Amino acid sequence: MSNLIKWWQTIKISIVKYTAYRLNFFLQIIGPALVFLFIKYNLWTAIFESTGSDTIKGYTLKAMLTYHVWAFVVSQLAQGHTALNLALDIRMGRISTYLIYPFNFWEFHTASFIGFQIIQLFVTGFAIFLFSIIGILPSVDLPTLLNGVGVCLFVSLFWFSLQYLTGVMAFWLEETWILRVMLQMITVFLSGAIIPLELYPDFFREILMYTPFPYLTYYPIKVFMGEAVSYATFFSVLSPWLILVSVISALTWRRGIKLYTAAGM
Amino acid sequence: MSFSSEIKHYLSVYKKFISTSTAVAMSFRTSFVLMVMMDLMFFGSAYFTVDFIFDHVDMVMGWNRNQFMLFLSYVLLVDGFHMIILSQNFWRFSDDLKSGQLDYTILRPLSSIFSVFFRNVRPSSIPTLIPAIVVFSYYANINNFSLFQWLLVPLLLILSLALLAVVEFVISCAMFWLVEGVGINFFRMQMQQLSRWPDLIYGAATKRVFSTLVPILLVGSAPIHFLLDMSKWHYLLLMVVATGVFWFILLKLWERGLQVYDSASS
Repeated sequence: MSNLIKWWQTIKISIVKYTAYRLNFFLQIIGPALVFLFIKYNLWTAIFESTGSDTIKGYTLKAMLTYHVWAFVVSQLAQGHTALNLALDIRMGRISTYLIYPFNFWEFHTASFIGFQIIQLFVTGFAIFLFSIIGILPSVDLPTLLNGVGVCLFVSLFWFSLQYLTGVMAFWLEETWILRVMLQMITVFLSGAIIPLELYPDFFREILMYTPFPYLTYYPIKVFMGEAVSYATFFSVLSPWLILVSVISALTWRRGIKLYTAAGM
Repeated sequence: MSFSSEIKHYLSVYKKFISTSTAVAMSFRTSFVLMVMMDLMFFGSAYFTVDFIFDHVDMVMGWNRNQFMLFLSYVLLVDGFHMIILSQNFWRFSDDLKSGQLDYTILRPLSSIFSVFFRNVRPSSIPTLIPAIVVFSYYANINNFSLFQWLLVPLLLILSLALLAVVEFVISCAMFWLVEGVGINFFRMQMQQLSRWPDLIYGAATKRVFSTLVPILLVGSAPIHFLLDMSKWHYLLLMVVATGVFWFILLKLWERGLQVYDSASS
Protein backbone atom coordinates (compact mmCIF):
# COMPACT_ATOMS: atom_id res chain seq x y z
CA MET A 1 0.00 0.00 0.00
CA SER A 2 2.78 2.45 0.95
CA ASN A 3 4.47 1.63 -2.34
CA LEU A 4 1.27 2.50 -4.20
CA ILE A 5 1.22 5.88 -2.46
CA LYS A 6 4.80 6.51 -3.59
CA TRP A 7 3.84 5.66 -7.16
CA TRP A 8 0.81 7.94 -7.03
CA GLN A 9 2.78 10.83 -5.51
CA THR A 10 5.51 10.48 -8.14
CA ILE A 11 2.91 10.41 -10.92
CA LYS A 12 1.37 13.60 -9.50
CA ILE A 13 4.77 15.32 -9.26
CA SER A 14 5.56 14.27 -12.81
CA ILE A 15 2.28 15.76 -14.10
CA VAL A 16 3.02 19.03 -12.29
CA LYS A 17 6.56 19.09 -13.69
CA TYR A 18 5.48 18.48 -17.27
CA THR A 19 2.80 21.11 -17.13
CA ALA A 20 4.74 23.75 -15.17
CA TYR A 21 5.90 25.46 -18.37
CA ARG A 22 2.85 25.02 -20.55
CA LEU A 23 4.14 26.88 -23.60
CA ASN A 24 7.31 24.82 -23.46
CA PHE A 25 5.27 21.61 -23.18
CA PHE A 26 3.18 22.61 -26.17
CA LEU A 27 6.19 23.60 -28.30
CA GLN A 28 8.20 20.55 -27.34
CA ILE A 29 5.61 17.77 -27.34
CA ILE A 30 2.52 18.76 -29.30
CA GLY A 31 3.88 21.45 -31.66
CA PRO A 32 6.25 19.23 -33.69
CA ALA A 33 3.54 16.62 -34.32
CA LEU A 34 1.07 19.36 -35.36
CA VAL A 35 3.55 20.91 -37.80
CA PHE A 36 4.34 17.42 -39.15
CA LEU A 37 0.61 16.87 -39.68
CA PHE A 38 0.26 20.28 -41.34
CA ILE A 39 3.11 19.50 -43.79
CA LYS A 40 1.67 16.09 -44.62
CA TYR A 41 -1.80 17.59 -45.13
CA ASN A 42 -0.39 20.10 -47.62
CA LEU A 43 1.89 17.56 -49.28
CA TRP A 44 -0.79 14.97 -49.95
CA THR A 45 -3.35 17.55 -51.00
CA ALA A 46 -0.80 18.86 -53.52
CA ILE A 47 0.09 15.34 -54.70
CA PHE A 48 -3.53 14.33 -55.31
CA GLU A 49 -4.21 17.66 -57.01
CA SER A 50 -1.19 17.13 -59.30
CA THR A 51 -1.84 13.54 -60.31
CA GLY A 52 -5.52 14.00 -61.04
CA SER A 53 -5.91 10.39 -59.91
CA ASP A 54 -8.53 9.43 -57.31
CA THR A 55 -6.40 6.85 -55.56
CA ILE A 56 -2.74 6.19 -54.88
CA LYS A 57 -2.05 2.62 -53.81
CA GLY A 58 -5.62 2.25 -52.63
CA TYR A 59 -5.72 5.52 -50.72
CA THR A 60 -8.11 8.29 -51.68
CA LEU A 61 -7.16 11.80 -50.56
CA LYS A 62 -9.65 11.52 -47.69
CA ALA A 63 -8.25 8.15 -46.59
CA MET A 64 -4.70 9.50 -46.82
CA LEU A 65 -5.54 12.52 -44.67
CA THR A 66 -7.37 10.33 -42.17
CA TYR A 67 -4.28 8.09 -42.04
CA HIS A 68 -2.11 11.07 -41.15
CA VAL A 69 -4.51 12.46 -38.55
CA TRP A 70 -4.39 9.06 -36.84
CA ALA A 71 -0.59 9.13 -37.22
CA PHE A 72 -0.67 12.33 -35.17
CA VAL A 73 -2.79 10.61 -32.49
CA VAL A 74 -0.46 7.60 -32.43
CA SER A 75 2.64 9.79 -32.14
CA GLN A 76 1.11 11.59 -29.16
CA LEU A 77 -0.05 8.46 -27.36
CA ALA A 78 2.68 6.01 -28.21
CA GLN A 79 5.93 7.88 -28.63
CA GLY A 80 6.65 9.98 -25.58
CA HIS A 81 9.75 11.95 -24.71
CA THR A 82 10.53 10.77 -21.23
CA ALA A 83 14.15 9.63 -21.33
CA LEU A 84 15.86 13.04 -21.37
CA ASN A 85 15.91 13.48 -17.60
CA LEU A 86 16.98 9.92 -17.13
CA ALA A 87 20.30 10.38 -18.96
CA LEU A 88 20.83 13.74 -17.26
CA ASP A 89 20.30 12.12 -13.86
CA ILE A 90 23.14 9.73 -14.57
CA ARG A 91 25.47 12.31 -16.11
CA MET A 92 24.94 14.90 -13.40
CA GLY A 93 25.32 12.36 -10.63
CA ARG A 94 21.73 12.77 -9.45
CA ILE A 95 21.10 9.03 -9.27
CA SER A 96 22.94 8.97 -5.95
CA THR A 97 19.68 9.99 -4.32
CA TYR A 98 17.80 7.05 -5.87
CA LEU A 99 20.37 4.67 -4.47
CA ILE A 100 19.39 5.58 -0.93
CA TYR A 101 15.67 6.35 -1.46
CA PRO A 102 13.09 3.61 -0.87
CA PHE A 103 11.84 4.21 -4.42
CA ASN A 104 14.37 3.17 -7.04
CA PHE A 105 15.50 4.72 -10.29
CA TRP A 106 13.35 2.49 -12.52
CA GLU A 107 10.25 3.02 -10.36
CA PHE A 108 10.72 6.79 -10.38
CA HIS A 109 11.09 7.05 -14.15
CA THR A 110 8.30 4.59 -14.85
CA ALA A 111 5.99 6.60 -12.59
CA SER A 112 7.05 9.77 -14.46
CA PHE A 113 6.28 8.00 -17.71
CA ILE A 114 2.79 7.11 -16.45
CA GLY A 115 2.28 10.75 -15.45
CA PHE A 116 3.29 11.83 -18.95
CA GLN A 117 0.91 9.29 -20.50
CA ILE A 118 -1.99 10.61 -18.40
CA ILE A 119 -1.38 14.13 -19.76
CA GLN A 120 -1.08 12.77 -23.28
CA LEU A 121 -4.38 10.90 -22.93
CA PHE A 122 -6.12 14.18 -22.16
CA VAL A 123 -4.28 16.07 -24.90
CA THR A 124 -5.04 13.38 -27.48
CA GLY A 125 -8.66 13.06 -26.38
CA PHE A 126 -9.06 16.79 -26.90
CA ALA A 127 -7.32 16.59 -30.29
CA ILE A 128 -9.60 13.75 -31.47
CA PHE A 129 -12.64 15.74 -30.32
CA LEU A 130 -11.36 18.85 -32.18
CA PHE A 131 -10.49 16.94 -35.37
CA SER A 132 -13.94 15.33 -35.35
CA ILE A 133 -15.68 18.69 -34.86
CA ILE A 134 -13.83 20.33 -37.75
CA GLY A 135 -14.50 17.28 -39.89
CA ILE A 136 -11.03 15.99 -40.67
CA LEU A 137 -11.67 12.75 -38.82
CA PRO A 138 -14.56 10.50 -39.82
CA SER A 139 -16.76 9.30 -36.98
CA VAL A 140 -15.30 6.36 -35.14
CA ASP A 141 -17.12 3.96 -32.85
CA LEU A 142 -16.14 3.62 -29.21
CA PRO A 143 -14.81 -0.01 -29.33
CA THR A 144 -12.50 0.87 -32.26
CA LEU A 145 -11.31 3.97 -30.44
CA LEU A 146 -10.63 2.01 -27.26
CA ASN A 147 -8.84 -0.73 -29.22
CA GLY A 148 -6.65 1.91 -30.85
CA VAL A 149 -5.84 3.59 -27.55
CA GLY A 150 -5.05 0.22 -25.96
CA VAL A 151 -2.70 -0.73 -28.78
CA CYS A 152 -1.02 2.70 -28.56
CA LEU A 153 -0.49 2.35 -24.82
CA PHE A 154 1.17 -1.01 -25.37
CA VAL A 155 3.42 0.58 -28.02
CA SER A 156 4.19 3.38 -25.57
CA LEU A 157 5.46 0.77 -23.09
CA PHE A 158 7.81 -0.60 -25.72
CA TRP A 159 8.85 2.94 -26.69
CA PHE A 160 9.52 3.83 -23.04
CA SER A 161 11.62 0.67 -22.61
CA LEU A 162 13.68 1.61 -25.67
CA GLN A 163 14.15 5.13 -24.37
CA TYR A 164 15.03 3.83 -20.94
CA LEU A 165 17.70 1.64 -22.51
CA THR A 166 19.18 4.59 -24.44
CA GLY A 167 19.02 6.65 -21.23
CA VAL A 168 21.02 4.17 -19.14
CA MET A 169 23.67 4.13 -21.87
CA ALA A 170 24.67 7.45 -20.25
CA PHE A 171 26.93 5.38 -17.98
CA TRP A 172 29.20 4.93 -21.01
CA LEU A 173 28.29 7.74 -23.40
CA GLU A 174 28.85 11.48 -23.11
CA GLU A 175 25.64 12.21 -25.02
CA THR A 176 22.62 9.90 -25.23
CA TRP A 177 20.36 12.33 -27.08
CA ILE A 178 22.08 11.20 -30.28
CA LEU A 179 20.78 7.66 -29.76
CA ARG A 180 17.32 9.00 -28.98
CA VAL A 181 17.25 11.15 -32.11
CA MET A 182 18.50 8.22 -34.21
CA LEU A 183 15.81 6.01 -32.76
CA GLN A 184 13.17 8.63 -33.46
CA MET A 185 14.40 9.16 -37.03
CA ILE A 186 14.52 5.45 -37.87
CA THR A 187 11.11 4.89 -36.33
CA VAL A 188 9.47 7.80 -38.11
CA PHE A 189 10.85 6.62 -41.44
CA LEU A 190 10.31 2.87 -41.11
CA SER A 191 7.04 2.79 -39.18
CA GLY A 192 4.85 4.43 -41.79
CA ALA A 193 4.60 7.75 -39.97
CA ILE A 194 5.61 9.82 -43.02
CA ILE A 195 4.05 7.77 -45.78
CA PRO A 196 1.89 4.64 -45.51
CA LEU A 197 3.89 1.44 -45.85
CA GLU A 198 1.87 0.45 -48.95
CA LEU A 199 3.86 3.10 -50.83
CA TYR A 200 7.22 1.53 -49.98
CA PRO A 201 8.85 -0.85 -52.48
CA ASP A 202 7.48 -4.40 -52.03
CA PHE A 203 10.79 -6.04 -51.08
CA PHE A 204 11.45 -3.33 -48.49
CA ARG A 205 8.01 -3.69 -46.95
CA GLU A 206 8.45 -7.45 -46.69
CA ILE A 207 11.72 -6.98 -44.78
CA LEU A 208 10.10 -4.37 -42.54
CA MET A 209 7.41 -6.83 -41.46
CA TYR A 210 10.09 -8.86 -39.65
CA THR A 211 11.02 -5.81 -37.56
CA PRO A 212 9.00 -4.09 -34.80
CA PHE A 213 8.78 -0.82 -36.76
CA PRO A 214 5.43 -1.29 -38.58
CA TYR A 215 3.83 -2.10 -35.24
CA LEU A 216 4.84 1.25 -33.78
CA THR A 217 2.76 3.46 -36.09
CA TYR A 218 1.29 1.68 -39.10
CA TYR A 219 -0.57 -1.04 -37.18
CA PRO A 220 -2.07 1.29 -34.54
CA ILE A 221 -3.27 3.60 -37.35
CA LYS A 222 -4.94 0.66 -39.07
CA VAL A 223 -6.66 -0.25 -35.79
CA PHE A 224 -8.00 3.31 -35.46
CA MET A 225 -9.13 3.22 -39.10
CA GLY A 226 -11.20 0.13 -38.26
CA GLU A 227 -9.35 -2.15 -40.69
CA ALA A 228 -8.89 -5.86 -40.05
CA VAL A 229 -5.68 -6.20 -38.10
CA SER A 230 -4.29 -9.32 -36.49
CA TYR A 231 -3.92 -8.50 -32.81
CA ALA A 232 -2.23 -11.87 -32.32
CA THR A 233 0.52 -10.86 -34.75
CA PHE A 234 0.81 -7.43 -33.17
CA PHE A 235 1.29 -8.74 -29.64
CA SER A 236 3.34 -11.79 -30.64
CA VAL A 237 5.86 -9.55 -32.46
CA LEU A 238 6.02 -6.65 -30.03
CA SER A 239 5.90 -8.57 -26.71
CA PRO A 240 9.18 -10.50 -27.21
CA TRP A 241 10.85 -7.25 -28.26
CA LEU A 242 9.50 -5.53 -25.15
CA ILE A 243 10.82 -8.34 -22.93
CA LEU A 244 14.19 -8.37 -24.71
CA VAL A 245 14.67 -4.60 -24.41
CA SER A 246 13.61 -4.66 -20.73
CA VAL A 247 16.07 -7.46 -19.93
CA ILE A 248 18.90 -5.65 -21.75
CA SER A 249 17.99 -2.44 -19.85
CA ALA A 250 18.14 -4.24 -16.50
CA LEU A 251 21.51 -5.81 -17.37
CA THR A 252 22.84 -2.48 -18.64
CA TRP A 253 21.78 -0.77 -15.41
CA ARG A 254 23.46 -3.48 -13.35
CA ARG A 255 26.73 -3.15 -15.29
CA GLY A 256 26.51 0.63 -15.41
CA ILE A 257 25.94 1.18 -11.71
CA LYS A 258 29.28 -0.54 -11.05
CA LEU A 259 30.99 2.17 -13.09
CA TYR A 260 29.11 5.03 -11.44
CA THR A 261 31.26 7.51 -9.54
CA ALA A 262 28.63 9.99 -8.21
CA ALA A 263 29.89 13.11 -9.96
CA GLY A 264 27.25 15.20 -8.24
CA MET A 265 28.27 14.30 -4.70
CA MET B 1 39.41 49.55 -35.54
CA SER B 2 39.00 49.67 -39.33
CA PHE B 3 36.49 47.39 -41.02
CA SER B 4 39.16 45.13 -42.55
CA SER B 5 41.08 44.71 -39.30
CA GLU B 6 37.82 44.01 -37.51
CA ILE B 7 37.02 41.27 -40.04
CA LYS B 8 40.52 39.86 -39.53
CA HIS B 9 40.00 39.91 -35.77
CA TYR B 10 36.68 38.06 -36.04
CA LEU B 11 38.16 35.52 -38.45
CA SER B 12 41.01 34.80 -36.06
CA VAL B 13 38.53 34.30 -33.22
CA TYR B 14 36.43 32.04 -35.42
CA LYS B 15 39.52 29.98 -36.23
CA LYS B 16 39.95 29.44 -32.48
CA PHE B 17 36.28 28.49 -32.17
CA ILE B 18 36.76 25.86 -34.88
CA SER B 19 39.90 24.40 -33.33
CA THR B 20 38.45 24.19 -29.81
CA SER B 21 35.15 22.71 -31.06
CA THR B 22 37.07 20.13 -33.10
CA ALA B 23 39.21 19.23 -30.09
CA VAL B 24 36.10 18.77 -27.93
CA ALA B 25 34.33 16.71 -30.63
CA MET B 26 37.35 14.46 -31.07
CA SER B 27 37.72 13.78 -27.37
CA PHE B 28 34.40 11.87 -27.36
CA ARG B 29 34.94 9.58 -30.33
CA THR B 30 31.89 7.34 -29.86
CA SER B 31 29.63 10.40 -29.76
CA PHE B 32 31.41 11.71 -32.85
CA VAL B 33 30.81 8.49 -34.80
CA LEU B 34 27.18 8.32 -33.63
CA MET B 35 26.62 11.90 -34.75
CA VAL B 36 27.99 11.11 -38.21
CA MET B 37 25.63 8.13 -38.37
CA MET B 38 22.70 10.23 -37.16
CA ASP B 39 23.25 12.87 -39.84
CA LEU B 40 23.61 10.25 -42.56
CA MET B 41 20.39 8.60 -41.40
CA PHE B 42 18.62 11.93 -41.57
CA PHE B 43 19.90 12.39 -45.11
CA GLY B 44 18.80 8.89 -46.11
CA SER B 45 15.32 9.18 -44.63
CA ALA B 46 14.71 12.58 -46.29
CA TYR B 47 15.95 11.29 -49.64
CA PHE B 48 14.04 8.01 -49.67
CA THR B 49 10.79 9.59 -48.48
CA VAL B 50 10.66 11.70 -51.66
CA ASP B 51 11.99 8.84 -53.76
CA PHE B 52 9.22 6.50 -52.58
CA ILE B 53 6.57 9.14 -53.25
CA PHE B 54 7.82 9.61 -56.82
CA ASP B 55 7.53 5.85 -57.39
CA HIS B 56 3.78 6.51 -57.50
CA VAL B 57 3.45 9.97 -59.05
CA ASP B 58 5.08 11.70 -62.02
CA MET B 59 4.69 15.32 -60.97
CA VAL B 60 3.99 17.30 -57.82
CA MET B 61 2.57 20.75 -58.57
CA GLY B 62 4.48 21.01 -61.86
CA TRP B 63 7.81 19.64 -60.62
CA ASN B 64 8.99 16.25 -61.82
CA ARG B 65 11.24 13.89 -59.85
CA ASN B 66 14.45 15.53 -61.10
CA GLN B 67 13.34 19.03 -60.17
CA PHE B 68 12.00 17.91 -56.79
CA MET B 69 15.22 16.03 -56.04
CA LEU B 70 17.26 19.07 -57.03
CA PHE B 71 15.28 21.05 -54.47
CA LEU B 72 15.68 18.35 -51.83
CA SER B 73 19.42 17.99 -52.31
CA TYR B 74 19.84 21.77 -52.19
CA VAL B 75 17.90 21.96 -48.92
CA LEU B 76 19.96 19.10 -47.51
CA LEU B 77 23.13 20.96 -48.48
CA VAL B 78 21.94 24.09 -46.67
CA ASP B 79 21.01 21.83 -43.78
CA GLY B 80 24.48 20.27 -43.76
CA PHE B 81 26.19 23.64 -43.51
CA HIS B 82 23.65 24.71 -40.90
CA MET B 83 24.47 21.62 -38.83
CA ILE B 84 28.20 22.32 -39.01
CA ILE B 85 28.16 26.06 -38.34
CA LEU B 86 25.07 26.84 -36.29
CA SER B 87 22.94 23.98 -34.95
CA GLN B 88 24.81 23.34 -31.71
CA ASN B 89 24.74 26.98 -30.65
CA PHE B 90 20.97 27.31 -30.29
CA TRP B 91 20.85 24.53 -27.67
CA ARG B 92 23.84 25.98 -25.86
CA PHE B 93 22.17 29.40 -25.85
CA SER B 94 19.09 28.10 -24.01
CA ASP B 95 21.34 26.35 -21.48
CA ASP B 96 23.53 29.45 -21.02
CA LEU B 97 20.50 31.65 -20.40
CA LYS B 98 19.25 29.29 -17.70
CA SER B 99 22.62 28.75 -16.04
CA GLY B 100 23.86 32.34 -16.23
CA GLN B 101 26.80 31.35 -18.45
CA LEU B 102 25.75 34.11 -20.84
CA ASP B 103 27.44 36.59 -18.46
CA TYR B 104 30.85 35.48 -19.70
CA THR B 105 29.77 35.84 -23.33
CA ILE B 106 28.48 39.37 -22.82
CA LEU B 107 31.72 40.41 -21.12
CA ARG B 108 33.86 39.45 -24.12
CA PRO B 109 35.13 42.27 -26.40
CA LEU B 110 33.17 40.75 -29.29
CA SER B 111 29.67 41.05 -30.70
CA SER B 112 27.54 38.95 -28.34
CA ILE B 113 25.46 37.72 -31.30
CA PHE B 114 28.64 36.39 -32.88
CA SER B 115 29.82 34.78 -29.64
CA VAL B 116 26.46 33.15 -28.93
CA PHE B 117 25.59 31.80 -32.37
CA PHE B 118 29.02 30.96 -33.80
CA ARG B 119 30.86 29.68 -30.74
CA ASN B 120 30.29 25.96 -31.34
CA VAL B 121 31.10 24.23 -34.60
CA ARG B 122 30.07 20.63 -35.25
CA PRO B 123 32.71 18.88 -37.38
CA SER B 124 30.83 15.56 -37.21
CA SER B 125 28.35 16.90 -39.76
CA ILE B 126 31.01 17.42 -42.43
CA PRO B 127 30.69 13.84 -43.81
CA THR B 128 26.98 14.50 -44.55
CA LEU B 129 28.03 17.13 -47.05
CA ILE B 130 29.57 14.46 -49.29
CA PRO B 131 26.32 12.65 -50.23
CA ALA B 132 24.51 16.01 -50.35
CA ILE B 133 27.05 17.42 -52.84
CA VAL B 134 27.04 14.21 -54.91
CA VAL B 135 23.24 14.07 -55.10
CA PHE B 136 22.94 17.80 -55.84
CA SER B 137 25.57 17.57 -58.59
CA TYR B 138 23.79 14.58 -60.10
CA TYR B 139 20.43 16.33 -60.26
CA ALA B 140 21.97 19.66 -61.34
CA ASN B 141 23.52 17.76 -64.24
CA ILE B 142 20.21 16.12 -65.13
CA ASN B 143 18.57 19.55 -65.04
CA ASN B 144 21.23 20.77 -67.53
CA PHE B 145 22.90 23.41 -65.40
CA SER B 146 24.99 25.90 -67.35
CA LEU B 147 28.36 27.16 -66.08
CA PHE B 148 26.65 30.35 -64.90
CA GLN B 149 24.13 28.33 -62.85
CA TRP B 150 26.95 26.30 -61.31
CA LEU B 151 28.78 29.48 -60.37
CA LEU B 152 25.64 30.84 -58.76
CA VAL B 153 25.17 27.85 -56.49
CA PRO B 154 27.78 28.79 -53.80
CA LEU B 155 26.42 32.34 -53.63
CA LEU B 156 22.86 31.08 -53.33
CA LEU B 157 23.91 28.65 -50.61
CA ILE B 158 25.44 31.50 -48.61
CA LEU B 159 22.29 33.58 -49.09
CA SER B 160 20.04 30.68 -48.03
CA LEU B 161 22.15 29.98 -44.99
CA ALA B 162 22.20 33.67 -44.03
CA LEU B 163 18.42 33.92 -44.30
CA LEU B 164 17.83 30.71 -42.38
CA ALA B 165 20.29 31.79 -39.69
CA VAL B 166 18.87 35.25 -39.20
CA VAL B 167 15.28 33.94 -38.98
CA GLU B 168 16.39 31.38 -36.41
CA PHE B 169 18.34 33.98 -34.43
CA VAL B 170 15.19 36.12 -34.25
CA ILE B 171 13.11 33.13 -33.10
CA SER B 172 15.76 32.29 -30.49
CA CYS B 173 15.48 35.78 -29.00
CA ALA B 174 12.16 34.61 -27.49
CA MET B 175 14.28 32.60 -25.02
CA PHE B 176 15.17 35.84 -23.22
CA TRP B 177 11.55 36.15 -22.14
CA LEU B 178 10.93 32.49 -21.28
CA VAL B 179 12.12 30.49 -18.30
CA GLU B 180 12.58 27.34 -20.39
CA GLY B 181 14.07 27.83 -23.87
CA VAL B 182 14.01 24.22 -25.09
CA GLY B 183 10.49 24.60 -26.50
CA ILE B 184 11.66 27.54 -28.63
CA ASN B 185 14.36 25.32 -30.08
CA PHE B 186 11.71 22.80 -31.05
CA PHE B 187 9.66 25.60 -32.62
CA ARG B 188 12.74 26.72 -34.56
CA MET B 189 13.25 23.18 -35.81
CA GLN B 190 9.65 23.04 -36.96
CA MET B 191 10.25 26.15 -39.07
CA GLN B 192 13.15 24.25 -40.65
CA GLN B 193 10.81 21.32 -41.29
CA LEU B 194 8.45 23.62 -43.19
CA SER B 195 11.32 24.87 -45.37
CA ARG B 196 12.38 21.35 -46.31
CA TRP B 197 9.40 21.08 -48.66
CA PRO B 198 8.96 23.36 -51.69
CA ASP B 199 6.55 26.28 -51.39
CA LEU B 200 4.53 24.68 -54.20
CA ILE B 201 2.90 22.20 -51.85
CA TYR B 202 1.48 24.83 -49.53
CA GLY B 203 -1.79 26.72 -49.95
CA ALA B 204 -1.77 30.39 -50.97
CA ALA B 205 -2.20 31.79 -47.46
CA THR B 206 0.50 29.58 -45.95
CA LYS B 207 2.85 30.43 -48.80
CA ARG B 208 2.27 34.15 -48.26
CA VAL B 209 2.81 34.01 -44.49
CA PHE B 210 5.94 31.87 -44.71
CA SER B 211 7.44 33.85 -47.57
CA THR B 212 6.94 37.27 -46.01
CA LEU B 213 6.14 37.39 -42.28
CA VAL B 214 8.40 34.45 -41.40
CA PRO B 215 10.25 33.99 -44.73
CA ILE B 216 11.35 30.43 -44.04
CA LEU B 217 9.99 29.04 -47.32
CA LEU B 218 12.35 31.28 -49.28
CA VAL B 219 15.39 29.42 -47.90
CA GLY B 220 15.14 26.48 -50.31
CA SER B 221 12.33 27.32 -52.71
CA ALA B 222 13.53 30.75 -53.89
CA PRO B 223 16.99 29.66 -55.12
CA ILE B 224 15.62 26.58 -56.88
CA HIS B 225 12.82 28.54 -58.57
CA PHE B 226 15.51 30.94 -59.78
CA LEU B 227 17.96 28.23 -60.85
CA LEU B 228 15.26 26.41 -62.80
CA ASP B 229 13.91 29.60 -64.38
CA MET B 230 16.26 32.60 -64.43
CA SER B 231 13.40 34.97 -65.18
CA LYS B 232 12.20 34.50 -61.59
CA TRP B 233 14.86 36.84 -60.19
CA HIS B 234 12.33 38.48 -57.88
CA TYR B 235 12.72 35.46 -55.59
CA LEU B 236 16.34 36.45 -54.95
CA LEU B 237 15.36 40.04 -54.34
CA LEU B 238 12.83 38.81 -51.79
CA MET B 239 15.54 36.75 -50.08
CA VAL B 240 17.94 39.68 -49.84
CA VAL B 241 15.24 42.03 -48.52
CA ALA B 242 14.02 39.42 -46.01
CA THR B 243 17.56 38.82 -44.75
CA GLY B 244 18.11 42.57 -44.29
CA VAL B 245 14.78 43.13 -42.54
CA PHE B 246 15.30 40.18 -40.20
CA TRP B 247 18.85 41.31 -39.40
CA PHE B 248 17.43 44.68 -38.36
CA ILE B 249 14.73 42.99 -36.25
CA LEU B 250 17.40 40.79 -34.67
CA LEU B 251 19.54 43.75 -33.61
CA LYS B 252 16.55 45.45 -31.96
CA LEU B 253 15.29 42.28 -30.28
CA TRP B 254 18.77 41.30 -29.10
CA GLU B 255 19.25 44.69 -27.49
CA ARG B 256 15.89 44.37 -25.71
CA GLY B 257 16.65 40.79 -24.76
CA LEU B 258 19.94 41.68 -23.11
CA GLN B 259 18.12 44.37 -21.13
CA VAL B 260 15.65 41.84 -19.69
CA TYR B 261 18.33 39.16 -19.20
CA ASP B 262 18.62 38.45 -15.52
CA SER B 263 21.82 36.58 -14.82
CA ALA B 264 21.10 33.33 -13.02
CA SER B 265 24.63 33.09 -11.68
CA SER B 266 24.89 36.45 -9.94
